[in-house]
Amino acid sequence: MTNDVNDREMLSALADGQLQGDAFEAALAYSAGDGEGHATLQLYHLVGDVLRSSDLARPANPAFMSRLRDQLAQEPLRSLPTQLQIPIHTEVVAPVRQEAANASVFRWKMVAGVASLAAVAAIGWTSLSSLQDGGAVGSQMAIAPVGAGSQAAPVVAVADADGQQVMIRDPRLDELLAAHKQFGSTSALQMPAGFLRNATFETPGR
Amino acid sequence: MPPADAALVSVDVVRDVAQWIERMHSAPCLRPYAGTFVVLAANGAMSSSRIWHACDGQQQMERVESLSGTPRTIFRRNDEVRTFLPQARIVRADRREDAGLFPRVPVVSGTSIAQFYTARLLGQERVAGFVTDVVWFKPVDSLRFGYRLWSERETGLIVKLQTLGADGRVLEQAAFSELDLNASVRVEQLSRMMDATVGYKIVAPVVVKTSAHAEGWTLRQPVAGFVPVSCHRRSVSDAEDAPSVLQCLYSDGLASVSLFVEPFDAKRHPSKPQVSGMGATQLLAQHVQPDVWVTAVGEVPLQTLRLFVGQLERAR
Repeated sequence: MTNDVNDREMLSALADGQLQGDAFEAALAYSAGDGEGHATLQLYHLVGDVLRSSDLARPANPAFMSRLRDQLAQEPLRSLPTQLQIPIHTEVVAPVRQEAANASVFRWKMVAGVASLAAVAAIGWTSLSSLQDGGAVGSQMAIAPVGAGSQAAPVVAVADADGQQVMIRDPRLDELLAAHKQFGSTSALQMPAGFLRNATFETPGR
Repeated sequence: MPPADAALVSVDVVRDVAQWIERMHSAPCLRPYAGTFVVLAANGAMSSSRIWHACDGQQQMERVESLSGTPRTIFRRNDEVRTFLPQARIVRADRREDAGLFPRVPVVSGTSIAQFYTARLLGQERVAGFVTDVVWFKPVDSLRFGYRLWSERETGLIVKLQTLGADGRVLEQAAFSELDLNASVRVEQLSRMMDATVGYKIVAPVVVKTSAHAEGWTLRQPVAGFVPVSCHRRSVSDAEDAPSVLQCLYSDGLASVSLFVEPFDAKRHPSKPQVSGMGATQLLAQHVQPDVWVTAVGEVPLQTLRLFVGQLERAR
């Protein structure tokens, strides 16, 4: 009996990610079988999922999941497109309030919103800049020339003799940008959100 | 001053732009708060900071500690700003000569926000654990961006703010990811920290108040809705002998534009115009005369900056 309780506590700790070393090994071994250990661990995970979100209260059908996994394994690997092709726009429309009939759909909308931010990052920017020491280099690698060790100065487009736009970095503009952000936010919006935005966003190295 | 029980009324109050702004502006002093604030630009750049805010009868105080980029802590006491840079052991002391003066509502005089924006309530959403009114400030023309604001229902505090391009795209988003509207933050605590400058070198850039006219500049035609706010000569660089730059500020009450005017210097300035866009902030730099270089910066569309620069001329 005590053994049972101990085993369950061990599994509970395993599900919470609290085990290390030998205890972890032992718990894993116990839960890896087809017996009670495995079922209990599944149950603990389900409990955890439900606590986190009621959407997860329906466990996936294991038969279906394994079929899906097999099918996916047989799919030929396609290389991902290196460039996003389709810009997604978030239009501002007065949302017709959907009475949260479908929270998961709403979550997809959120994801789509984030995706559109990301898509905008990859497309439709004639020029851009990261605002912190390479803070956004990851998203810029493909699009902005990142000078080695550059202090993430604003990237500006300069028209050259043929009217072509050329990207350059100009640290001098940092100072003017910072001055604008610091002293140029007079709007009512700017208190506090704007001040916070500017203070949060302020160019470094000043 | 909206009563706190406004939130208990389930009917949506119809407010115009000015009423929304007044409500949002008086919000910060209703409760001391602390939170984490995240700014995300459309190009993927992201910054975050930790915020503490408190008011008493006379003072509004804010502490903003950067969590990304260069470590720095910015304190604001009414219009006084100090930026602590612990790595360089420097404190920059500045005055914001703007509308943050507590408790006056900071509407730029001479602007008419209602003329250039309309407000529309879009519904309610939860942000950072709070129920908020989602409000859309729609610009009437293409010279300014639109805004979507999430205003906490009980206090009116802005907990999320999106700047929207002409096509409705989100250019920049700033929001509390986590917020405590009952934090034990007190003005005197923050004040003590702000004054703890021992061991730091205090740098106070020289600023001279002036006017565009006194500097010999004028706008041929005002740009719709934007009124002159102030002009200063300041040194924007931390270098010892940096030349001062003239900064003139214009605002329509929500958006603001800075015009920086300096003598053209072939060593520092390119010969061709420069344009740049970062999130909501656009930048345009070019000659206005063979010997004068102007840089326009603002949270407005690029065409608005072009208008500004095009209207700038020597005063007779």
